[in-house]
Amino acid sequence: MMSADSSGRVLHAPPSALAGVETPATVLSWLTTVDHKRIGILYGVTGFAFFLLGGLEALLIRLQLAVPNNTVVSAQAYNALFTMHGTTMIFLAIMPFNAAFFNYVVPLLIGARDVAFPRLNALSYWIFLAGGLLLNASLLAGTPPDVGWFGYANLTSRHYTPGPGVDFWLLSLQILGVSSVIAAINFIVTILNMRAPGMTMMRMPVFVWMTLVVQFLIALAFPPITVGLIFLMFDRFFGTRFYDVAAGADLHLWQHLFWIFGHPEVYILILPAFGIVSEVLPTFAKKPLFGAPVVIYSGVLIGFFGFGVWSHHMFATGLGPVADSAFSIATMLIAIPTGVKIFNWLATLWGGTIRTTTALHFAVGLVGLFTIGGLSGVMHASPPVDLQQTDSYFVVAHLHYVLIGGSLFGLFAGAYYWWPKMTGRLLGERLGRVQFWVIFAGFNLAFFPQHYLGAMGMPRRIYTYPADAGWTAGNFASTAGAFGIGVGVLLFIVNAWQSLRRGAPAPADPWDGRTLEWRTSSPPPAHDFDTIPPVYGRDSFWREKHGPRRGAPPTASHAPLHVPAPSHWPVMIALGMGIAAVGALTHVSIVVIGVLWTIWGIVRLALEHHRTHAHADQTGVLGLDHRKMAMWVFLGSECFFFGTLVATYLAYKGRSVVGPAPHEILNIPVTTVSTFDLLMSSLLMVLALAAVQRGDRRQARLWLFGTAVFGLVFLGFQAYEFTEFVHQGFTMQRNLFGSTFFVLTGLHGTHVAIGVLWLLSLWVLALRGRLGVADAVKVEIAGLYWHFVDVVWIAIFTLVYLIP
Amino acid sequence: MSDAPRAGEHPTVGTYVRVALVLTVVTALEVGVIYVRRLAPIVVPLLLAMSAAKFALVALFFMHLRYESRVLTFLFVGPLILASGLAVALMTLTGAFLVFGR
Amino acid sequence: MSTLAARSDYAREILHVYGIVTWVAIGIALVVGVALAWIIVRFRDRPGASRVPAQTRGHTLLEISWTIAPALVLLAIAIPTIQVIFRTQAAPPRDALEITVYGHQWWWEFRYPALQVVTANELHVPAGRPVALTLQGPDVIHSFWAPRLGGKRDVIPGRLNRLTFTAETPGEYRGQCAEFCGVSHANMGMRVIVDAPDAFARWVAAQKTELAEPAGLAAEGKAIFAGRACVGCHTIRGVSSGALGPDLTTFGSRHTLAAGLLPISVDNVAAWLKNPPALKPDAKMPALGLTDEQARAVATYLIGLK
Repeated sequence: MMSADSSGRVLHAPPSALAGVETPATVLSWLTTVDHKRIGILYGVTGFAFFLLGGLEALLIRLQLAVPNNTVVSAQAYNALFTMHGTTMIFLAIMPFNAAFFNYVVPLLIGARDVAFPRLNALSYWIFLAGGLLLNASLLAGTPPDVGWFGYANLTSRHYTPGPGVDFWLLSLQILGVSSVIAAINFIVTILNMRAPGMTMMRMPVFVWMTLVVQFLIALAFPPITVGLIFLMFDRFFGTRFYDVAAGADLHLWQHLFWIFGHPEVYILILPAFGIVSEVLPTFAKKPLFGAPVVIYSGVLIGFFGFGVWSHHMFATGLGPVADSAFSIATMLIAIPTGVKIFNWLATLWGGTIRTTTALHFAVGLVGLFTIGGLSGVMHASPPVDLQQTDSYFVVAHLHYVLIGGSLFGLFAGAYYWWPKMTGRLLGERLGRVQFWVIFAGFNLAFFPQHYLGAMGMPRRIYTYPADAGWTAGNFASTAGAFGIGVGVLLFIVNAWQSLRRGAPAPADPWDGRTLEWRTSSPPPAHDFDTIPPVYGRDSFWREKHGPRRGAPPTASHAPLHVPAPSHWPVMIALGMGIAAVGALTHVSIVVIGVLWTIWGIVRLALEHHRTHAHADQTGVLGLDHRKMAMWVFLGSECFFFGTLVATYLAYKGRSVVGPAPHEILNIPVTTVSTFDLLMSSLLMVLALAAVQRGDRRQARLWLFGTAVFGLVFLGFQAYEFTEFVHQGFTMQRNLFGSTFFVLTGLHGTHVAIGVLWLLSLWVLALRGRLGVADAVKVEIAGLYWHFVDVVWIAIFTLVYLIP
Repeated sequence: MSDAPRAGEHPTVGTYVRVALVLTVVTALEVGVIYVRRLAPIVVPLLLAMSAAKFALVALFFMHLRYESRVLTFLFVGPLILASGLAVALMTLTGAFLVFGR
Repeated sequence: MSTLAARSDYAREILHVYGIVTWVAIGIALVVGVALAWIIVRFRDRPGASRVPAQTRGHTLLEISWTIAPALVLLAIAIPTIQVIFRTQAAPPRDALEITVYGHQWWWEFRYPALQVVTANELHVPAGRPVALTLQGPDVIHSFWAPRLGGKRDVIPGRLNRLTFTAETPGEYRGQCAEFCGVSHANMGMRVIVDAPDAFARWVAAQKTELAEPAGLAAEGKAIFAGRACVGCHTIRGVSSGALGPDLTTFGSRHTLAAGLLPISVDNVAAWLKNPPALKPDAKMPALGLTDEQARAVATYLIGLK
């Protein structure tokens, strides 16, 4: 295959060193790496380990169900198995696999040298690892969660499930959420702000577009479930009433919050695979993606409308005919852009010259299998039909067709496609095709019969079934198929091992590729590209090799190459978070240690490059500073966080079974004063920023300190208010109003406190003369955060205190 | 500077102080309105409008959104609108609007 | 428990839409599958002939038509869907038989308020008359599902959910809890027994008749029952009024025990009485320390309760 560009310049391919890093591959270098390629590999390997664990759990499940009345595992163990299997596969396998490709490939695809925030990137990985280890520590403790990966309240209450299993589960999910959201912000800024010159948004590869949509989904969908989990955590640890039916709670609330996250989550799981297929098919058909703009728009539409269909998971819960109909129609509408993609992929292959590599096998497999999974999904979109199918093996079949036939097949396609780039070796094609057929056959044998089982009335999440139900043959076949999948996975491991030991060396461009990653060596050097590649249009590299080129290539950049330096603070911060979580399960003093450790790590991370000259100007392609853009994305995510809290407060308003009611206890005159105080603090903040921007150090110190003081005053008022309420017997355990009020305003107050700490830190820097004009953007983003917290209070003041 | 201001503007200290003044006055009006019996039937839309106005003033001026690239507006307002829509949907589904005005 | 064999109006309405979506799904799957296979075969690269094909980027008309076509197909699904949603969730008719269903961990309680009947795990309904179930839950979320009689509806504590159907054919239909509700979720079965109207009337009458005094082994069983903790959890009319476990007044007229776990026989009932959690993991009913003879005596008594 070609490995030279059209000007004849040969792209060098060093001997295969994993990730091609210049520094020696020591353990320490892996612990402190901030290189997106290494982080990608970390995600991939770690994800694979968890994937094997989840697969083992699946095999145990299938062994138990192979015959009726089986005794391989107890009922309790079985319930833990399917809980762990689901949670592991979604959060610890598929999402990290997706992250592996985001990390390794996206910067290369857009012609960048790394992501916008390399240390935060590493941080995301280490926090993910902490969360994954915490969840599986529950196995070691002998108390795994056993309430299903979806943990419906009120089964998850301390009353019905007293042990620590659910606590392990909710704490690790919270940690994993933090990891994902940090990474989402990072990639949004990277994709928007770090594209190579000439790479307009519409010239970006479809995989990058799908990644971008997924990051927005993550940033916006995780806050609602974070809130739902906070409610559960407070109920279980502190006795609040969020899911307490006797106190007037609505058990639909958990389901709504869970699925407002859960439905976008399934698009988070599948869109990357769609992106991979959109790269693999054109490459091996030697044709452009058919209707690339439409494929892009449909991905965006799916992402957006994905927020409007969540209650199709709740058709059996009695939402009423109007809600059922609305969500049914919305769900069917989403099927349209999804179907369109299938046709675009078919049209991409049609008329092409198709090279049937293993990557192509898996991509084609996805097209076929996802069609089946998508169609069973369309069946579920009709509530009457869904009422027979939901909570049965029919939907188990559906979800595995889309998650294995869709996501996993897409990921295997990506693995075979990008393996040469990442390792400098080729995976065996012959073994690869065998592996494909084994997994394809095993998968269909495992899951196609489950449609029939569901149609025959077999419910899901049952550890056994009677011999006279007529479900035996289907279950046995399914179990056999599951082991087939296992064999297929083993074959992949063999292929990977052989490739790393003695695989054929891969050139830079083994597939005659269309996109920029093939323009650098396999694997790339630490700095990815010797020079930032020219962009000639969509499928830029193909155009460079074979034409037609659009637009003259820009002159090579002469800016000095900056390779991000390693850092040990990401590991330290993740460790602190892990310690805090362990403390939540053991003793509060350990929580305190963990929190302090985390804060210390964050401060050190923030100051690590305070003086580094290369970090002073972080302006990107859109003319915006990376950090400023990141803060605005974060604030968008916070809109979802506080929006969920406020919505819950209002949804529960007037439903408390016992008093007091808001108008009986809220002190409006006093709160008016604290509101005024917070508003004025925003004024002081803008004065502080203006002072820093014009280099007025004295005023900068004055206004920064003033803002912090006003913030402390606000917190003082809040402390007074809380204490007063508790004295009057109004606590967060008292009633629904207490729970929603204290958690909402308490979390807001926590945000204020963090802001105060941030401002005081900046003030200290200013005192030491280390806050100059060049540091204005740091004050600016602190200001944006501060004003947002103020703005949230404006909403809370009106909606909680003033509205009758 | 590295960002792209619109029309090269940058608010003066005077502008900021004026905005702060307006915020104070509107807050006072909000609190006042709830004590006026005659306005009781429309107090909810009135309060929502006033707090939305304050929200907008802080976002446009203190957070500088009026003078920034449209990209930042989109990054923030998009999620804001979506979150508001979801909040309203959630409240509707849980029957919150049946309770309002009790 | 087939979902494809309708024995009520509700199930029939669902099956109608089910048929439409199934044929649509199969049709589209075949079209896509055949197209995919054909394309791969037809355009496969032959060795030594690596030509670069025409770099077609798209075709607007084609893309518009394959956006509209799925939309039309979905319309064909949406219309009957909405119609059936509203028809099957309409308020039950005035003459419907009202039954309140309580989902417990892990058994079903059925109360007929108008008829003053209370039973557990086996629901008797008359054929040809609308039945209006009101689902309530004192503990966690469950789901009532008897597939041949219709779709499922969740039992959600704090809410009242409704499920209305008119059973057509007399017979015995299996059901099972369909929302994960704890350790023995798999063991929360039920039976819905559709009786011809006169058989139903007889059943109702039998529920309210005074129980005959037991004799022999059954009398011993009754004495054991009445003297032990059993009375704290179970109701047997005229003997005890516990409210934590299933009503056992006409236990003997049922076909299965412990929510569809086993067919009723002296052996099975005795085994259950000796150690309930061994048969139903985490069952709230504890092992009572009965000897074999005691268990058989109580079993004989219970089976005699008709």
